Amino acid sequence: MAPLKSLEQLHPIIDTTFQSFCASHGIFTVEDFLIHDLYVLAAFAEQQPESEKLKQGITQILSVINAERQPWMNGLELLEDARENKHFLSTGFEGVDTLLGGGLREGQLTEIVGPSSSGKTQVCLRAASNVATNYNAKVFYLDTGNSFSPQRISGFVNWKSGPSIARTGQNMLQQVMSSISCHSVYDIFAFFDVLHQLEFNLRSQTCKGDRRVQLLIVDSISSLITPILGGSSSQGHALMVSAGSLLKKIAHEYNIAVLVINHTVGGDRGTSKPALGQSWKSVPHVRLQLSRDPGSNVCQASILKHSSMASGMTARFVIYE
Amino acid sequence: MALRQWIDGDESAAEMLTRVLKERTSLLVPPLHRVPLHVGNVVELVGPSGSAKTQILIQAAVNCILPKEWNGIRYGGLECSVVFIDLDCRLDISRLSQVLKLRILEGNGNGDWGNFDALYTTCLRRFFYIRCYDSFEFLATLKTMHHKLQKERDDLGIGLRLLMIDSIGAYHWVDRVSSSLPLWGYNRKGFSLANMLEAAVEEIKKLLLVHPSIVIASKATIFGDRSSDIVRREKSSSETESRHGKSDGGQVLYREYMPSAWQSFVTHRVFVRGSDEYLTVSSCEHQSIYFSEWLLPSLGVLDKFIVKNAGIFMVP
Repeated sequence: MAPLKSLEQLHPIIDTTFQSFCASHGIFTVEDFLIHDLYVLAAFAEQQPESEKLKQGITQILSVINAERQPWMNGLELLEDARENKHFLSTGFEGVDTLLGGGLREGQLTEIVGPSSSGKTQVCLRAASNVATNYNAKVFYLDTGNSFSPQRISGFVNWKSGPSIARTGQNMLQQVMSSISCHSVYDIFAFFDVLHQLEFNLRSQTCKGDRRVQLLIVDSISSLITPILGGSSSQGHALMVSAGSLLKKIAHEYNIAVLVINHTVGGDRGTSKPALGQSWKSVPHVRLQLSRDPGSNVCQASILKHSSMASGMTARFVIYE
Repeated sequence: MALRQWIDGDESAAEMLTRVLKERTSLLVPPLHRVPLHVGNVVELVGPSGSAKTQILIQAAVNCILPKEWNGIRYGGLECSVVFIDLDCRLDISRLSQVLKLRILEGNGNGDWGNFDALYTTCLRRFFYIRCYDSFEFLATLKTMHHKLQKERDDLGIGLRLLMIDSIGAYHWVDRVSSSLPLWGYNRKGFSLANMLEAAVEEIKKLLLVHPSIVIASKATIFGDRSSDIVRREKSSSETESRHGKSDGGQVLYREYMPSAWQSFVTHRVFVRGSDEYLTVSSCEHQSIYFSEWLLPSLGVLDKFIVKNAGIFMVP
């Protein structure tokens, strides 16, 4: 939102008289308007010489505010939006898909928690290759620890298509690889930069009919955020919550499934807990916990939290080696 | 003529009685059933993440949008509209639709499908949803809501009865750091956490004057219990708690973090949490049990409930 001065061009009623009236009440921007009691302000305007014009100005700003906010939806419209635009994307692991009630849901933030080498990145890479292969969609991969492995992806693709049809396999591989764009980010500010850029691109290309981004992966969100947490300042928490709400905004508005990784750290009494704790816990829609049987490639996944299903179910799956 | 009109009054005693009785109809939704909720009450539903807070909101919404009676079948709803302000962007509409469907089918008994569709869409039309991504959007929503509600009241013929906010503490951290010094002018209000919430509370109060309704706000506990301003349970119920064998002493509930403007606005407060206990439904099916407890008014009773597909059910 904007300083009142910048509204003058579009809405001539917000002229200098109006602006100086507002300034005398400490109002300089539209945000200032929001935390003021407009009835009180209108009562003050009543006492001014040009009260009618001032009140018109207040109404004008209210309608500016009204145009800026998110749209209202009723239950039917919401349900239709969910049915039309919020599809399930398969991760490529059948067990995980069933557990999630169909896969990664567009518009939702799914989180994977688990200790080191429990298969978190593998699930991400597999999901990326699967979505790129089967949905003809683009995948946006944010890599914070250089763990993105194109070899692994090509492994998944070749494994699926089989070696016998090497020629088409090669084409397929090329197409899959070109649909996955990987971006290395090493701190939270670069992360915001990339996301804002993505949001901007998405907004400007919404009407085009070509392949759209359907999956956004952050591997891992916790390694971006844990360095800025701690201490007595709440700056870190603020950035964490903003990151969460920006991810959810992108997910909802552009119908993208978001998958983030949260690693675990040692907690009290020898237990392990997710690196992002209490304040983050209310951010994701779905939280999936992974663990791996020592010495094997069998993973176990369980639902810690789901927006429409009972939690506590588990599934086992094998990561292809 | 004008005098005659004035003497006639605005409504007859009978009309007034029906109006007042209608306003006094109370919302009874498990697990908030211990205290009947009336128009004007502000309920805070506090608990850690994963304690079925949003489920309770969905349950309350369904109770509100269902009609009292439809084609001779009793559904026991309040037949009024509901506003759901989603500050966390987490409502799953398919879950609400599922609960609503099951409630209608339960009432119908022997599936009358034509009836079902009409009722289902009518109910869903009474549910209004908006999502916000920061405190300014929340304030903008509250400031412009009156017109929207008035329009819907004219269209649907029924008014708002329930305003839900999920969850009120969502922007706590963001607002806490945005209290930077104002530029321009000494008299400019800062965007501090307290100012933001105070403005929101004022807007809700004004809204309630025109659209009398019940407010239910969920609030996630976002802190550990390290600090001093923690909410402890009253003595009377700590025995109940220890009987359920909780290891951490059972005293500390959560840490209060909302500014005083909000705290004094709240008239009822319920604490909910999950537990490790399970209810065995069948040999292979277990339902996890949740606990709820009234803190304001302090009743000292610990209720248990489970969340099933069809909604929330109390268990003894």
